[in-house]
Amino acid sequence: MSTRTLISPAVLARPRGKALYWTVFAVVVLLFTLVFLGPLYWLVSSGFKDAQEVIATPPTLVPESFEPENYTRAWEVMDLATLLFNTLYYAFGALAFQLVLDVAAAYSLSKLRPVFGKAILGMMLATLMIPATVLVVPQYLTVLDVPVIERNLLNSPWAIWLPAVTNAFNIFLLKRFFDSIPKELLDAASMDGASPLRVLWSIVLPISRPILGVVSIFAVVGVWKDFLWPMLTLPDPSKQTLNVGIYSLSNGVPVNVLIAALTIASVPTLLIFLVFQRNIMSGLTAGGLKG
Amino acid sequence: MSAPSMTPTPSKAGPPRPSPPSGAGSVPPAGRFARNLKRNLTAHGFLIGAVLCFGVFSWYPMVREFFLAFQKTENGRTDWVGFDNLVTVFNDPAFWQAWGNTGLFTLLALVLGFAVPFLVAVVINEFRHGQGYLRLLVYLPVMLPPVASVLLFKYLYDPGYGLLNELFTSIGLPEQQWLQDPDISMLAVVIASTWMNMGGATLIYLAALQSIPGELYEAAELDGAGLLRKIWHVTIPQTRLILSLMALMQVIATMQVFVEPFLLTGGAGPEGSTTTVVHLIYQYAFNFNDYGAAAALGLLLLVLLAGFSAVYVKLSRAEDE
Amino acid sequence: MRSARFRRSRRAAAITLVSALSLTALAACGTSSSGDDGGDGAQQNGSSDPTIPLDPKTKVTLTIDCMPPAAKAAELKEWKEDVAEFNKTYPNVTIEGRSTPGQCLEPPRFTAMLKAKSQPDVFYTYFTDLPQVLAEDGAADISAYVSPKTVPLLKDIDPNVLDSLRHQGNLYGLPTSNYTMGLLINRKLFKDAGLNPDAPPRTWDEVRAAAKKIAALGDGIAGFGEYSAGNTGGWHFTAQMYSLGGDVVDASGTKAAFNNELGKQVARNLHAMRWEDDSMGKTQLLKWGDLQKQIATDKLGMFLAAPDDIAYMVQQLGAKYENFGMGPIPGGKNTLAGGNNYMVKKGISPDKIKAAVAWLNFKNLTVGKGQFDWARTKADGLPVGIPQPNFWLNGSKTKDDAARVEHATMPVENFKAFMDNPVAGKAEPPKAQEVYKILDNVMSGLLTNKDADVDKLLSTAEAQVNQILAHQ
Repeated sequence: MSTRTLISPAVLARPRGKALYWTVFAVVVLLFTLVFLGPLYWLVSSGFKDAQEVIATPPTLVPESFEPENYTRAWEVMDLATLLFNTLYYAFGALAFQLVLDVAAAYSLSKLRPVFGKAILGMMLATLMIPATVLVVPQYLTVLDVPVIERNLLNSPWAIWLPAVTNAFNIFLLKRFFDSIPKELLDAASMDGASPLRVLWSIVLPISRPILGVVSIFAVVGVWKDFLWPMLTLPDPSKQTLNVGIYSLSNGVPVNVLIAALTIASVPTLLIFLVFQRNIMSGLTAGGLKG
Repeated sequence: MSAPSMTPTPSKAGPPRPSPPSGAGSVPPAGRFARNLKRNLTAHGFLIGAVLCFGVFSWYPMVREFFLAFQKTENGRTDWVGFDNLVTVFNDPAFWQAWGNTGLFTLLALVLGFAVPFLVAVVINEFRHGQGYLRLLVYLPVMLPPVASVLLFKYLYDPGYGLLNELFTSIGLPEQQWLQDPDISMLAVVIASTWMNMGGATLIYLAALQSIPGELYEAAELDGAGLLRKIWHVTIPQTRLILSLMALMQVIATMQVFVEPFLLTGGAGPEGSTTTVVHLIYQYAFNFNDYGAAAALGLLLLVLLAGFSAVYVKLSRAEDE
Repeated sequence: MRSARFRRSRRAAAITLVSALSLTALAACGTSSSGDDGGDGAQQNGSSDPTIPLDPKTKVTLTIDCMPPAAKAAELKEWKEDVAEFNKTYPNVTIEGRSTPGQCLEPPRFTAMLKAKSQPDVFYTYFTDLPQVLAEDGAADISAYVSPKTVPLLKDIDPNVLDSLRHQGNLYGLPTSNYTMGLLINRKLFKDAGLNPDAPPRTWDEVRAAAKKIAALGDGIAGFGEYSAGNTGGWHFTAQMYSLGGDVVDASGTKAAFNNELGKQVARNLHAMRWEDDSMGKTQLLKWGDLQKQIATDKLGMFLAAPDDIAYMVQQLGAKYENFGMGPIPGGKNTLAGGNNYMVKKGISPDKIKAAVAWLNFKNLTVGKGQFDWARTKADGLPVGIPQPNFWLNGSKTKDDAARVEHATMPVENFKAFMDNPVAGKAEPPKAQEVYKILDNVMSGLLTNKDADVDKLLSTAEAQVNQILAHQ
């Protein structure tokens, strides 16, 4: 993009400006690489060190010992496959529920405008103000014995999926986007006798791709990052998420094996991210919140 | 210049105003009623799934929090105890420390977690090269499992074999105790947290910066404004709304930070220096098995946050218009 | 609870309006775990008389936690072998193990589990957990099920150990191990520092002097290590108080008893070792598992531990057992005694309880079998010769001790100092985990703050402990 930014192109064109630009650029690129890739390098390389070197003082930047078997051992003891599968299962389940229920709700609040709609939206937005951790006790008690259906959702994926729907921020984003869709577009379709569901499906959703992308990322990342809630609601080790699994492992293996395990646990999503980074980045920057 | 819009509005005119249901007025009253009823039923049909989830997993727990705060459950029996739980909470020597820590944490998180991504976005936005690479770098940590990042930081911070102290001594700075120094443990937690989470905010700011019309900078230059004044008079006002919203989001996000202190310092930290209100709630509930005290403290936090919510609602209203 | 039911019925009325979409979502919640408690009558074909041992024809499935995780490969293999052998006698009992890498039991998770009644049929606890489990109505009274018929060696089990699983005369669990704390040392570092590894320090002054010498080896080596997080800091503070003849909770069980000269002595000694001598290492806020990692990599000279830590270090951390030795706890007035056990979930069928007792008897309470099959333990490369767990008396003790010596995989004389100088065991305080949690702060204060105010740390903790104790 060649939009005009803070510093004018004229200044940059001058030799001094050019030199300064490249200097700053080099420093920033170096610094960022150090800050963001440095720890990752440290993680991967420490995973190869032997038990002595990994806790040597001073630390060694380049491993002097080479023990790739740390990685094999980490893979064996961690059962990464199960943990990763669980996490993805919860994340995409939560995504599906949010896409169906939250999109429907936002559409209703934005375009169908039922009575009490404003009040309902207000009550939903109010939950944004309350940190999830504050409500963790009553929420936990609720999951143990869900009212009406009187079920205990502990150790079941529903304990993750259904609370995930109460994502007021996503509803807010969706509603704002739907608000911006010209009314005439929908009216024309209604005139042709299309039901609200049809209008949603064939008109609203196709235009809303960018916001759906953003909401999807938020939904998946939300589950991916959560720790306390899955730790409490999924106590069965075979049903744990990656985060909780690594945490339980953390004091049961030597430091070098733990670090190898952290590396392995980070690889899958880093790969997904690198492969899809274009979509993810453009989704987040273009679709979401423009100032 | 009108306030920037939060959505990718196709037209510059801003979102359309809410309109009454179509066809109103041209239909006889009885038909209108039936139509209204049908429209409302459909609309609530679309809403009901989300509303039920909110009801069960959000609103009901909120109400329940209120009740729990005044109850005590022991050996399977639940009794009303009035303000006993609140008294318990107030008498806890950790009470004021936890509030102080939470305040400090919020302040640090605002300075680091809020200002740093903005500055990073401003800098990245100036570059004509390598923007993609830098954005990628900043967002990379967001994709790591948070527990892995936190444990990595714990390793980096270790005063014995950690890399950070090695780095410090190699450039002539004094070694630090990081997580084990009550004076800087909170800072260390916030730094780790910022590293892990700043990617999202940076991308949002970048998007906001890219939508600032270039003419504004040109106009400012004609007035002879320097770099800092351009930032102060153009960049910040133009992104004011997104900045204030993000600041609030940051405060709220900070209030629920749990995993970072929990894993880095065991939650309480040296001399309780990283005990936040949220950690205290967790401790009451799951270490001391005292759900009443946990709920009472939660209630206090809720009341405080009601103030923030007022600001938030006001802001989103202002932006609605 | 009445009002909650009322709310429920109101909600039930409202639900008739529910759209199909959300109904299917909620109805599908039927796949929850709430069905697995309670008696499963269909499988019952044994006798319901608790005194009659399990009929081998009975078909039951038992869920049980704390199965060794993959990281403990050898123990997991033994577990599987034991299940197979158990199934020769009881082919219709299915043992469904659950494993957690790291610590089986973490107090916060345990609390949540009890609250949720989500514990498996047979669940692992510490001796100190009994009051909490009973308060949550979580464990079945198994007194009637445990008799010389079902647990043949019952009379040879140390009554003190069994008593810690009794409440008002009823038995709620069967022990798996017991321990008393001693001073675990790294023999190599002792030698390197010119100390005699066969004579570990016996007083806290000697500990301090030895720690100083070991730390002088440099290279990031600490002389003495302590915990200060995850409740284990408080646990060890308690152990140190006991070692000097002190207490953390007074005899009435209602008042903290550590804010006194003895408490200050413990605190000052630790503070001096950390800050004056710099002999406790720089890394603090450690919890169970961290010191083991240090001593296993020769970075730590000594710490307070139960003997079974050695098994953990050899198996999971790849340490060599020759490298460790043990002495009695310094001070030697009393030593903290504790242990682990399994309890049976309340409400499961009598047949399940019988199966649980049969399994626990086979796995943990039979000389020569299960965990006491020392020949196998040796063959699997696990340490044999560690003094504990050892809750046997009489003939069983003679037999078991002989087997330990016969199959010993380590120089048993490394533990001579510990074995020859038994210190009177002292049980953990009431509300142990809560008290420990609070005392963690004392430990972390001493070990992380050079200017720690001992008086203030102790008095703050005292106020907090008194509050916890008043709450019962």
